[in-house]
Amino acid sequence: MPRLILSRLVFMVLAGFLLLSFLFALFHMIPGDPARLMAGDNAPEELVQSIRRAYGFDQPLHVQYLSYMQRVLMGDFGVSNYTRQPVLEVVLPRIGNTAALAGCAMLFAMTVSLILGSFSAMFWGGPVDKGVTAFSLVGICTPVFVTGIIGIYLFGVYLRWLPIGGMSSWQHFILPVLTLGAYQAAMFTRMVRSCMVDALGRDFITTARAKGAPERRVVFHHALRNALLPIITLFGLGVGHTLGGSVVTETIFNWPGLGRLMVDSILTRDLPVMQGAIFFFAMIFILVNLLVDILYTWADPRVSYD
Amino acid sequence: MKTKHHSRRRAAARLTGASMLVAAGIVSATAQEGEPQYGGQLIYAQSGEKFSLFPGRNTDNGAQDVWLNACENLVELNEESEIVPVLAESWETSEDEKTVTFKLREGVEFHDGTPFDAEAVAFVFNEAKAQDFIYISLLEGFDRAEAVSEHEVAFHLEAPFAALIPNLAYRPLCIFSPTAYQELGEEGMATQIVGTGPFRHTDWVKGEYVLFERNDNYWKEGLPYLDSIKMVVVPDPSTRTAMLERGEVDRAVSLSDFDIPRLELNENIRVRTVPSTRQFYVVLNHMVEPFDDVLVRRALNHAIDKVGMVQAVFAGSGATVPKAPTLSEGVYGYQDMRQEGEDSIFPYDPEMAQSLLQEAGYEDRDGDGTIENADGEDLAFTLWTRKGSTKGDYQVAQLLQSFLGEIGIPIELVVMEAAAFSSAVSQAPDDAEYEMALLSWGIPTADPDEPMMYFTHTKAWKPAGANRMFFSSEELDRLADAAHTETDEDERKELTRQWMAQLLEEAPVIYLPTLHLSLGTRSYVHGDRILAVDNYPATEAWIDHEEMQRQGISR
Repeated sequence: MPRLILSRLVFMVLAGFLLLSFLFALFHMIPGDPARLMAGDNAPEELVQSIRRAYGFDQPLHVQYLSYMQRVLMGDFGVSNYTRQPVLEVVLPRIGNTAALAGCAMLFAMTVSLILGSFSAMFWGGPVDKGVTAFSLVGICTPVFVTGIIGIYLFGVYLRWLPIGGMSSWQHFILPVLTLGAYQAAMFTRMVRSCMVDALGRDFITTARAKGAPERRVVFHHALRNALLPIITLFGLGVGHTLGGSVVTETIFNWPGLGRLMVDSILTRDLPVMQGAIFFFAMIFILVNLLVDILYTWADPRVSYD
Repeated sequence: MKTKHHSRRRAAARLTGASMLVAAGIVSATAQEGEPQYGGQLIYAQSGEKFSLFPGRNTDNGAQDVWLNACENLVELNEESEIVPVLAESWETSEDEKTVTFKLREGVEFHDGTPFDAEAVAFVFNEAKAQDFIYISLLEGFDRAEAVSEHEVAFHLEAPFAALIPNLAYRPLCIFSPTAYQELGEEGMATQIVGTGPFRHTDWVKGEYVLFERNDNYWKEGLPYLDSIKMVVVPDPSTRTAMLERGEVDRAVSLSDFDIPRLELNENIRVRTVPSTRQFYVVLNHMVEPFDDVLVRRALNHAIDKVGMVQAVFAGSGATVPKAPTLSEGVYGYQDMRQEGEDSIFPYDPEMAQSLLQEAGYEDRDGDGTIENADGEDLAFTLWTRKGSTKGDYQVAQLLQSFLGEIGIPIELVVMEAAAFSSAVSQAPDDAEYEMALLSWGIPTADPDEPMMYFTHTKAWKPAGANRMFFSSEELDRLADAAHTETDEDERKELTRQWMAQLLEEAPVIYLPTLHLSLGTRSYVHGDRILAVDNYPATEAWIDHEEMQRQGISR
């Protein structure tokens, strides 16, 4: 296990450097001039030149790249082109905000899907199963921004039960978490259901039933434990989707998270912030995958990394 | 030193009287609305967030309200597009018009407790020149500023410059505390602004909010009424609207045009719109045939239904038809240039468009519905546009394609990413690859000098200025140069009018609608204003606390 963790951490560092180099190359290769974008369409050339000088865009590319990488090694991701704030100061609080949103949404989605998926499999083909299937199909087909806007107007504006924008109290979590979680819950429920249907058809379930084990124990102990391995993989992948989905959710609910920061910095060509945001996004993703691998050994003791 | 009173000063004196009347108007309106009440926090939803708070390095108009609250200018532009004194009480221009001396308001302090005086003003502008602040190009010919006495500062110019005073009203040219600047440096000032304004800037969390608290030592006695202002950043227009409807914010700007009719039915919300200084236009590259032909350019202008465009793209309320070329209602010297009975300049008339094209030698010769030149080659162009950079840009481009298609000119739309577009339309004539490109022109200084000198002037051909049409007209250059140095107000306005009339003759671009600014406010907020230059002053704003409670909003 320690070897796994160590090798993954080394991989993370390598992947981080490759990613930063790739982003640097990408954003310098595509057409467009950040100084021009900052100055505006109608700005005189002197203004664009003065921005270029002030922000170091006039340096040769390899000089810009080397000095950037050197600074990253020292833990300095540069300063935002617009606000002149250090990138880490901008990005780090956002990581916590996105983690809180995505974490709660995942927790909600996992709980709902495990319960609904198991019941659906238990009553396979019956009205409960059909109802759950209908719920998950509607959930999968409704884009996050539609659920979000409906939630805002129904619970925020008309019923006035829940606040809409920001994250200053626990009530602020409810709408974005439900919006983001509902889509994932719908997706997971389908998968949990099919894994459980498969597990419930196995011989050891017949044995358990023949031994007279109560149905609740058969489903939630024997079947679920055995169906867990693919489900954990699925949840691991789901974290990626949730992080991706958080970009839209954060925009609709004005959530000050990493996803919104990433989009804004890409649109405004705030290169240092964009590199920082994407870098940390990728690191979170790698860490989550590591966590999933560790969870495998818990779910199935046959899996060993040593 | 022999001096002559600047005509603007006389205007200012007249204006002081006028603004007193306006103030009286406000008072009587206030009496109907109730006496102003002190206290409370105004929460205000803004759309953008990419700003730096340091005025010398900011390139984003969206940040203007930050300075508006905390940092004041020597002069400012009011709702009637007139210059009124703020930190300068009056000013005089020397006989040779190369020195302007400002008499400063006394007894004013910066938020850090240091005095506002001539030394401070001179420091800010001399530093702007020395450090090449981004706005320095607006102070053309500025040599140096000198403190003549404790409350008198002289601006020395290399040549007379008529737009000096109006440009000083541009928000980024506000007077910040030199002491704070020396302590914090540019980097520190990027997150903290220290000025003399009605509110002190106390906190900023990027992408979330900017907080201002009442300046108890503000020089306007009794103001402001509010305890604090919280500007929250809400990029999504639907969310901004929903937050206003729920009362989570008291004021929201840049509302979605299609939400406005619904908001107007809500008795707890007051919606106001005013024309901004931003006008859409299509750049025609005059290096490409047949855009060098004035008849063709006029024909294209007549082919576009501006009224229909305002209805279809902007729901009738988000924009207005162009009533003058380039300048809009908020700009100094603007005049309605429509002929009697016309609904916009270059009114929609496809038949006239076709006959002008025919006169220029272009018509449908083979009956295939497409216009050809004398050699039988089709008249077809590409139109470059962005999508979502400015409200409605892509839809406007689609309508242009459809209107020009109707008179027989097929248009291919090319949608480009914002940074790539900006760079591609900023090339010198030999490198410019566009035929037509959809852009918009805003005038943050609300003074015609900038468009006259940087938009249509021959000296302003890209990359030097913003003349990306590569258009040249001796008469327009002459009028612009004359207005640039003309310090008599009436003369300058007349030159501006002649410049607009000449633009209508020569039609260097296709003129399109002017965008509106919109402001939605909960009805318990009184006394807040909206200015055409995208400013929303709240110095005199106050909250009716009882009404706020009645609407079920408590914080």
